[in-house]
Amino acid sequence: MKHTHRIPKEIMPYLLLFPVFLYYAVFWLVPVLSGVKEVFTTLDGTFSLFSNFRLMASSDLFGQAVFNTAAFAVLSVLIQYLIALLLAVLLNRKFSGAKLLMFASMIPMAITPTATAILWKTGLMKDGWINTILMGMHLIQVPIVFLNAEQFSAVLLLIVVDSWTVTPSIMIILIAGLQGLQKDQKEAAYLFGANKWMIFRDVTLPTLKPSITTSIIMRMIAALQVWAISVMILGYSKAPFLVERVAFYVDAIPGVDTSTKLAYTYSFMTTIVVLLATVVYLKVSRKTGHQEKEAS
Amino acid sequence: MDRLNIVQKTLMTLTLAFMVLVVVIPLLFFITVSFSSATDMTEFPKRLLPTRSVTVYIEPVEGDTYELFYDYGRGDGYTSIITTGVADRLETHFQRQYSVSVSGDKLLEDFSRTRIEGPMTFSYKKDAFYNFKQFFRIIPNAAPALKNSIIVSLYTILISLTLGSSAGYVIARYRFAGREQLNVALLIVRMFPTVGISIPMAVMLIKMGLFDTMLGLALLYSIPNIALTSWITSSIFIGINKEMEEAAWIFGASRVRTFINITLPLAFPAMAASSMYSFLTAWNDTISALILTNENQTLSLVVYKAIGTTSSGIQYAAAGSIVLILPALVFTFIIRKYIGQMWGGVEL
Repeated sequence: MKHTHRIPKEIMPYLLLFPVFLYYAVFWLVPVLSGVKEVFTTLDGTFSLFSNFRLMASSDLFGQAVFNTAAFAVLSVLIQYLIALLLAVLLNRKFSGAKLLMFASMIPMAITPTATAILWKTGLMKDGWINTILMGMHLIQVPIVFLNAEQFSAVLLLIVVDSWTVTPSIMIILIAGLQGLQKDQKEAAYLFGANKWMIFRDVTLPTLKPSITTSIIMRMIAALQVWAISVMILGYSKAPFLVERVAFYVDAIPGVDTSTKLAYTYSFMTTIVVLLATVVYLKVSRKTGHQEKEAS
Repeated sequence: MDRLNIVQKTLMTLTLAFMVLVVVIPLLFFITVSFSSATDMTEFPKRLLPTRSVTVYIEPVEGDTYELFYDYGRGDGYTSIITTGVADRLETHFQRQYSVSVSGDKLLEDFSRTRIEGPMTFSYKKDAFYNFKQFFRIIPNAAPALKNSIIVSLYTILISLTLGSSAGYVIARYRFAGREQLNVALLIVRMFPTVGISIPMAVMLIKMGLFDTMLGLALLYSIPNIALTSWITSSIFIGINKEMEEAAWIFGASRVRTFINITLPLAFPAMAASSMYSFLTAWNDTISALILTNENQTLSLVVYKAIGTTSSGIQYAAAGSIVLILPALVFTFIIRKYIGQMWGGVEL
């Protein structure tokens, strides 16, 4: 063996990681800390633990924004996930339409949220294509005025839009997980007399666990930050969400001191909620996580 | 054992057809909207496919004027729209209402036939890309925004791939103190909502002179994507046969050479996939662009601002959205082979 070792092996990983550390120190840690500082100082610059949170809690639509965000995150992930799992199990075969399916499934994912919002707005308008379809199928007699949806039905409407966008790609992730399933694993299970349900439960589902883990984390994080479809389809303040509030204070009433503070506080709150969701999720899946690590 | 019986086959075909329809039908209607004239937009029910031409009914009126009728397809026949003999007015009317670009003089010349032959219908070919032209005409910011979106996406891919894959390799191949903590830290930054740092980031970028620049925006987009790239690539690097790497070392290849000649090609699909994610983050974001830019907007932000909160003129915004969607689709299409490999050896 050649011995042209220049760098001790123990230092190598740290050396390779140094640019990454540096990047995060400058472009992540510094803004995060100054953001936190803003949240805990009042307008005149004095430290206060709660004043900005009190400001936020008493601001318009705070409670509704919190409720809507929670409802949207939980319901959309649940619905999309169940549908995607069902579709993935149904479509997990080699079949002639696989290319077409893959291509079609990739489209909604590839569409920019702002474009998705416009796409659905053209459908949800009173003389839009959704009423065209529903009346064409004789499901309704009079056009529905979707855009007047308020409160919870507005949130449900946005869940439908969001599901159209992401369910196909979740399905793709799950099918990818299923395709990774070793064929001989399945055959061995058959050989030992396992039935289809047992194979699904004991072979297929555990195989899917890593892809399930990743897709749920990703979806939750994205769902907690919903705003563009809400603002663009329904307008500001119709279906308030946490990030929708940030955009509202930045975009709709910029320049006012309190709106800057509110934008800071709302984005801080969003961050905390997202991180909490991450922690809760990791706790729940810790067991599987450890098994995975040991296996690798 | 994978042979399907007839019931399974039917079920699968139905599922497949359902999936494709649910995705494709909204898209078709949407594309049709982007090619619709202002008059088409008032029609109900909406068409699944766009119209190529417009038909009007012209009646000669006393003097030099004509009365123009249009059939909205509501079953009540032709409705009187305008009565005029002014060439400019006719030209504007045809352009705004029917997306037809024909000179007013030509229209008057055509209509003069009704003086001899009596009232009759005329058909004109629509300018298919009228809405697209209109989108870039109404919003002067749109063309530079398209360029900006491409630039910021490329920056984001470059930064994320360079830093992310090196971190992914280190995590997969080395055992070192702090490895677990690093994994957790990367997970946190990956999950960290960009909106949470956008506002303080704006303050910082102003100080650095990078506010309202695409590099500044890419620096923000790279925060989750470096971590995401390292996570995707590390799981692939773990999966790559270590014996192959070791064999290469035995034959005298250095670690760097091994990485470039053996490991990197094998990891290419993962890197392509994570590049796609980086691209989509940068291309699709609106909230951070809203906060971090002023003049140099991205296309997604321009489309967002184009619609405002009303539905009027939505066909122009729809045309802008198609422009926004196309590069994203093309990008996805280009790397579909690698997604397919990730997907488990499915050729696409």
